[in-house]
Amino acid sequence: MIVVDSDKLIACPICEATNIDKSNRNICRRCGSKIYHHRNSPTEKSWAYLITAIIAYIPANIYPMMVINQFGSKSGSTILEGVIELWEHGDYPISIVILIASIFVPITKFLMLIYLLVSVKYPIGNDKKVNRFTVYYFTEIIGPWSMVDVFVVGILAGLVHLSSVQIIAGTASTAFAVSVFFTLLAAHSFDTKLIRGR
Amino acid sequence: MKIELEDENDLDHYIICHKCHTVQEEIAISDGSKALCSMCKMPLYRYDTRLVEHGLALSITGLIFIVLANLFPLIKIEILGTESYITIISMISSLIGSGYYLVALFLLYLIVIFPVMIFSLYILLFALLKLKRAEELAKNILILLAQIEPWQMSDIFLVSILVSIVKLFGMATIHIGISFWTLFVFVLIDIYMTRSIHLGELWVLKKEIYSKKAEKLKNDTPISNTKKGVSS
Repeated sequence: MIVVDSDKLIACPICEATNIDKSNRNICRRCGSKIYHHRNSPTEKSWAYLITAIIAYIPANIYPMMVINQFGSKSGSTILEGVIELWEHGDYPISIVILIASIFVPITKFLMLIYLLVSVKYPIGNDKKVNRFTVYYFTEIIGPWSMVDVFVVGILAGLVHLSSVQIIAGTASTAFAVSVFFTLLAAHSFDTKLIRGR
Repeated sequence: MKIELEDENDLDHYIICHKCHTVQEEIAISDGSKALCSMCKMPLYRYDTRLVEHGLALSITGLIFIVLANLFPLIKIEILGTESYITIISMISSLIGSGYYLVALFLLYLIVIFPVMIFSLYILLFALLKLKRAEELAKNILILLAQIEPWQMSDIFLVSILVSIVKLFGMATIHIGISFWTLFVFVLIDIYMTRSIHLGELWVLKKEIYSKKAEKLKNDTPISNTKKGVSS
């Protein structure tokens, strides 16, 4: 007979099985995978990925995302310029989609992850009113949607290479893809059991 | 809240909600219905007696559609009499051609390799569960599926196609290709599958299937002929 506190139960990130939290060397009883193994600093890995993502996000906004070569004259546009251009053309829905996917989503994700990482370590922001599990859940849900812009550039670059007009992918697309990739990794490596204060 | 357990495996009757991380006790539900989290109303699990058959049918259909989506043109455009079209593969190869190896690699994995892999693995998994064979392999497939599932982005790619179509609207005449529709159907199947089949249920199902098999083998030997009550 074992008696456990429900606070001592953790879910395996791989198979979702309920496990008893014994130490920081938990191995799932159902699938045998390690549950967030880390030595001293549990948030280290997440921070590292997050900082990489933020660094990659800077060139993603400075360099052109897409270069349009129309009759020999080249014009590149960054993410923000692209959004403004679409807005001026009257394509409001699309410009909002791009604005949300490539500016709001990454920045919200950075802020949410920073908030989570700070609040599990320091008492600041450790507010009972905010359900941090829900915050984490939303970072997981919205994360991949920032890939939209990279995919769009891929499609347009592959499609439009005619003699009169060519669209070429810009440097920012690589930076942006890397940034999204690392935010996804940062979210995946975040240990949810830290939220309960252990 | 204190929870009393006979042994550690009794924890199978407790589920931690994926969204709010509260511990929920499993209850018996009728066939075809689902259990919701008592805190945040997130679906926790479903009960489907024909889960293996449904899963197998869905995953075979999905695989057919994703393979078709990779073979045919996605969109065709016409500007001043010249035509150009892309397939998923030609899109990736043109990115490689212009030197964007990293983006091409991401695209290749996120929208070609992972979806095909996930659906092939599902077919294999459901076939193994149906045949009640190779428990270890089924377990490894389940672990692998959990690891690659978050990296599958066909739905996002579909939205991107729509965005690029709208971007090209004034510039060119656009013809939507076969692949677009097959990809659309694939995404619908994929959404239906992720909504109706959770990996957690498959672990429970796997345990049930293989433990029944083990019990049957045990009961076939003449020593223990007494029937045991099976709690499921």
